[in-house]
Amino acid sequence: MGSSPSLPAWEIRNLVHTTGFTSEQIEILHRRFLHLTDGKPTMCRDCFDNIPDLECNPIKSRIVNAFFDRRNLGLQSNGTVDEITFENFLTILSFFQHMDENHAKEDLEYYKMEKLQFLFRMYDTNGDGKITLEELREIIDELLSKTSNTEKTSSSIADAAMMEAANICVGEMEPDQQYDGITFNDFLKIMQDIKIEAKMHVRFLNMDTTAICK
Amino acid sequence: MPAARLCLPVITALLLLCALRALLASNGTSALTELLEEAEITPSHQLTGIGSHPELQTTSHPAKMQSAEDGGSAQGHDIVGFEMVKWQWVHVQGPFLIAVWILVASLAKILFHLSSKVTTVVPESCLLIFLGLGLGGIVLAAAKKPEYQLDPDTFFLFLLPPIVLDSGYFMPSRLFFDNFGAILMYAAIGTLWNSFTTGTALWGVKLAGLMDRKVEAGLLDFLLFGSLISAVDPVAVIAVFEEVHVNETLFIIVFGESLLNDAVTVVLYKVFNSFAGIGSENIQALDYVKGVGSIFVVSLGGTAVGIVFAFVLALISRFTKRVRIIEPLFVFLIVYLAHLTAEMVSLSSILAVTFCGLCCKKYVEANISQKSRTTVKYTMKTLASSSETIIFMLLGISAVDTSKWTWDTGLVLFTLLFTFVFRAIGVILQSWVLNHFRLVPLDRIDQVVMTYGGLRGAVAFALVILLNSQTIKAKDYFVATTITVIFFTVIIQGLTIKPLVKWLKVKRSDHHKPTLNEELHERAFDHILAAVEDIVGHHGYHYWRDKWEHFDKKYLSQLLMRKSAYRIKDDIWDVYQKLNVRDAISFVDQGGHMSSGKFAFASMPSRTSFSETSVTNLLRESGSAVCLDLQVIDTVRSGRDREDTVMHHVLRENLYKPRRRYQGNYSRHFIAQGEQERQEREVFQRNMRSRLESFKSTKHNVYSSKIKCRHKKEHKCQKRRNAEGINGQVPNDKLQRNVSWQDTVPVFVEVDSEDEEKDKSTKVREQEDDEGITFMAKAANENPQERKFSGNFEYPQSPSVIPPSPTCAEKELPWKGNQGDLPACVSSETNKIVPVDLQYAWKQSTSSLESLVSPPVSDAVFQPKALDFMLEECTVSAALPVPRHPIHFQFPCTAGERSTDEDTMESIQQQELQPLMSAESDSRPVPSAGLVSTRWPAPFHRPSYVSALRSLVTSTQYNIKQPEKSGNMQTNL
Repeated sequence: MGSSPSLPAWEIRNLVHTTGFTSEQIEILHRRFLHLTDGKPTMCRDCFDNIPDLECNPIKSRIVNAFFDRRNLGLQSNGTVDEITFENFLTILSFFQHMDENHAKEDLEYYKMEKLQFLFRMYDTNGDGKITLEELREIIDELLSKTSNTEKTSSSIADAAMMEAANICVGEMEPDQQYDGITFNDFLKIMQDIKIEAKMHVRFLNMDTTAICK
Repeated sequence: MPAARLCLPVITALLLLCALRALLASNGTSALTELLEEAEITPSHQLTGIGSHPELQTTSHPAKMQSAEDGGSAQGHDIVGFEMVKWQWVHVQGPFLIAVWILVASLAKILFHLSSKVTTVVPESCLLIFLGLGLGGIVLAAAKKPEYQLDPDTFFLFLLPPIVLDSGYFMPSRLFFDNFGAILMYAAIGTLWNSFTTGTALWGVKLAGLMDRKVEAGLLDFLLFGSLISAVDPVAVIAVFEEVHVNETLFIIVFGESLLNDAVTVVLYKVFNSFAGIGSENIQALDYVKGVGSIFVVSLGGTAVGIVFAFVLALISRFTKRVRIIEPLFVFLIVYLAHLTAEMVSLSSILAVTFCGLCCKKYVEANISQKSRTTVKYTMKTLASSSETIIFMLLGISAVDTSKWTWDTGLVLFTLLFTFVFRAIGVILQSWVLNHFRLVPLDRIDQVVMTYGGLRGAVAFALVILLNSQTIKAKDYFVATTITVIFFTVIIQGLTIKPLVKWLKVKRSDHHKPTLNEELHERAFDHILAAVEDIVGHHGYHYWRDKWEHFDKKYLSQLLMRKSAYRIKDDIWDVYQKLNVRDAISFVDQGGHMSSGKFAFASMPSRTSFSETSVTNLLRESGSAVCLDLQVIDTVRSGRDREDTVMHHVLRENLYKPRRRYQGNYSRHFIAQGEQERQEREVFQRNMRSRLESFKSTKHNVYSSKIKCRHKKEHKCQKRRNAEGINGQVPNDKLQRNVSWQDTVPVFVEVDSEDEEKDKSTKVREQEDDEGITFMAKAANENPQERKFSGNFEYPQSPSVIPPSPTCAEKELPWKGNQGDLPACVSSETNKIVPVDLQYAWKQSTSSLESLVSPPVSDAVFQPKALDFMLEECTVSAALPVPRHPIHFQFPCTAGERSTDEDTMESIQQQELQPLMSAESDSRPVPSAGLVSTRWPAPFHRPSYVSALRSLVTSTQYNIKQPEKSGNMQTNL
């Protein structure tokens, strides 16, 4: 795709500002974007089928969904969009940026929240702000799918996980109290021991290695 | 033969005396030398001493002659030609001394740990070195010649492999590979840097004339010395860092470095050694190239050897199904072979062992039985620990030998300075480079700890001893310096690193146990990150890890794991299992407190009073305990069960267990509320809660609790049995089946219990002991409503009916003492029980006792019967106004009929899963259930949850009479 139209400089500058990527990274990602979309300016779900490595990912659909999730794209309503632009693509990927330690503390906290929100939405498929038992079961099902486990396993694990979540988040519950799902606040509590900023991170290249390889 | 008769005790006494002397001698007293000299006496020498017995000349054994000599007047049997006891010190000398040395070291460890104050301040390695110094001093003073030094061959062939294996096998592989880049960099580049800089700097010092002129060493000698002195030693690092709990990243970097730098050290050492041998003027350019190339050959070769052997080991462990008993042996043998092979072809043996342990672990652990796993773990730890102990002690002893080393203050001081300074510089430089790539940068504090953690140890010593004093003229100086550096690093740095870590506020390792949610999310992370890398089109770390995992799952695990193990193998599942065990233990924990607190009810007194129960009870208890053990062994041996059982069996097991433990619980207090549905729901809810919260415990726990609750159960069982006996319904043949079904139980359940338990302190175990009783207490506490309920009807029974049975008496007292409404329940129960008990059970106590004798059967019978009995009670109380006794007797009959109809596997499953089958209605539980639930931390009664659980069960059909049926089913299985 030698004829890939590079982005205009002003747009790159804009994107650098909004997404936090460097201009080199943006150019590389743009090339990748065009490669995936076959040169079209927008991306649809089918584009992700072009990635062979993604096929064996057990939670592929979830990840692809995240790219089209309105909430992740900064849109107010729930649901998904059909196509995303390059800017949307970058917005999603910016969730996986590495956070520099030299940012202000509030910024770091903000980024961390963003990342967690992203994860949370990945679990909360119906967008009601709660990870219900069913949703939990679904994802466990997907995670375990590769090991040919039975449905029972995943659901019993989901039960246990839900129970654990209820324990962590609510503590002693009243007898008639119901725990019907992990809210985002509960999610934060659950995840507080995981250093999300250190884990949820992908290295974005400043140099285009694919170009070199080719 | 009066003479022979006479000499026998004399000889025995003599032998004891000699043994004692030998022991004392090995302890370092002056007797040692005498003994050794005696042992080494030549026959001719001895003959002069016992010239009066010329016949002895024919015997060639000097030791025997010695005994003859000592025996003096008691002699006589030698002449006869037959000796009943011989003194054969020479024969056993070697192993005997080794054993005694290990014993001394181990005893020393006990001594050290007598005072916890000392060991918290002073690392064990330091203490051992001091001990070695002391012992060495004594030996030296006594023998006038140094004995028992750290022999390089012994060290590399016997002492080092266990330690390396231990560290490789128990290395957190994920952490290791996550930090692999950093570890590799520090190990390779760091060691090279340290060697060259230290060596050259020392040479510079030598040129500057700051060293004694007698230190005859050129650049090559110093480089050689630099190479051996610069390597961080795994033994020392483990010994010190184990006690300093720095965060795991820091630990794995220092530790990984110490393991992986072996290749570089060994290569540099060999290269410089041979160069020094050839002489610097004869070295050709090609030799340098070869030297550099050998670094790669040795390191990669060692790794390859390790991986190949790991593959072989994993493959073998796949087929040890029927020879469980030697499974652990394979692990050790093959790893040791890897070590020897690598040594043989002069590759890095440490790398070989490390990678062998690291790579095989996943598959071996999955394949071998839980018992073998425990054995492997313990044996490895024992071997490693004793090796470590011996190494440090021998280091201390070796240091005493002044003949081997020559002191030069300049060399020693500068070496200390350079090793420290250059390590610091190296660490800072490398960290600076690495921080450009690392997600979590290594900050200053980390770097300080890494610098400070650069301990030198026995490897350096062994290498320096191996030097050839012909070619390396300054060997004695190097030995002295090496010993000083080792002592300095191990003792001074070892002593101070703990305060330093505290002072610097280094992030400690937080020992929070993994939660299921965390594990889930981390797993999701991995996939998400890999996917994002795919989408971005950048093949980074996550990409390759994902690829590897995919490959592993698809091919390697298939090849190297048993089918059953492969199915079960999953991280999430592992965590799930572990959590269950943990919950069980915490439940026990909690229970322990509760029993001492306000929840101390019936069970408490019951325990105390039970201890005074009749002999028959005690007998029964011991009998059942034995049977438990037998059963465990049987199941482990049978081996096939694990293969036979698939995933859902495990699950069902888990579902089943709580219920088993439950019997005591709900059968006793679960007095029906009139409608079956409610009952079911409550069973379900309680079961869910209990399963997830607490007892989803392991077999092990169940066992221990079983043993403890044995009395109660037995009482009930016996009663039940007797009642049944009257109805002619003792199903012996069916018991058999029950047992066989249970065979699968321990295999799976124990899997994690033991693992987990190892890590638990004894305290937990002690608390575990209380489990059974506590459990009862809670159960009693759980449903006051029900109690009240039942009490209304049943209390009226006159106390006079209560038999002398201890059960009743115990039950009675506490209730009355504590709560108003409680007594009703218990007494009612006892009243119910008592008649049966009185009339039938106690009459036939002897016969029932006999039936209990055969272990597995009795064990299998106990619980189901108890359950059955209890369930019956529930139903009994459900049909309230009806007189109790008739119903009691009727029930077994109906139960038997029903069970024979449906005695199928499916029904078993159903019955096992029964607690999870919810009633059709999703509404909130009845008030009583709610009350019951109060004590559980997090009950959630959510429709979706309920329905989800319902879907768990394959057969959704639900009979109203399920509880009864299941109870009876169990009896008949």
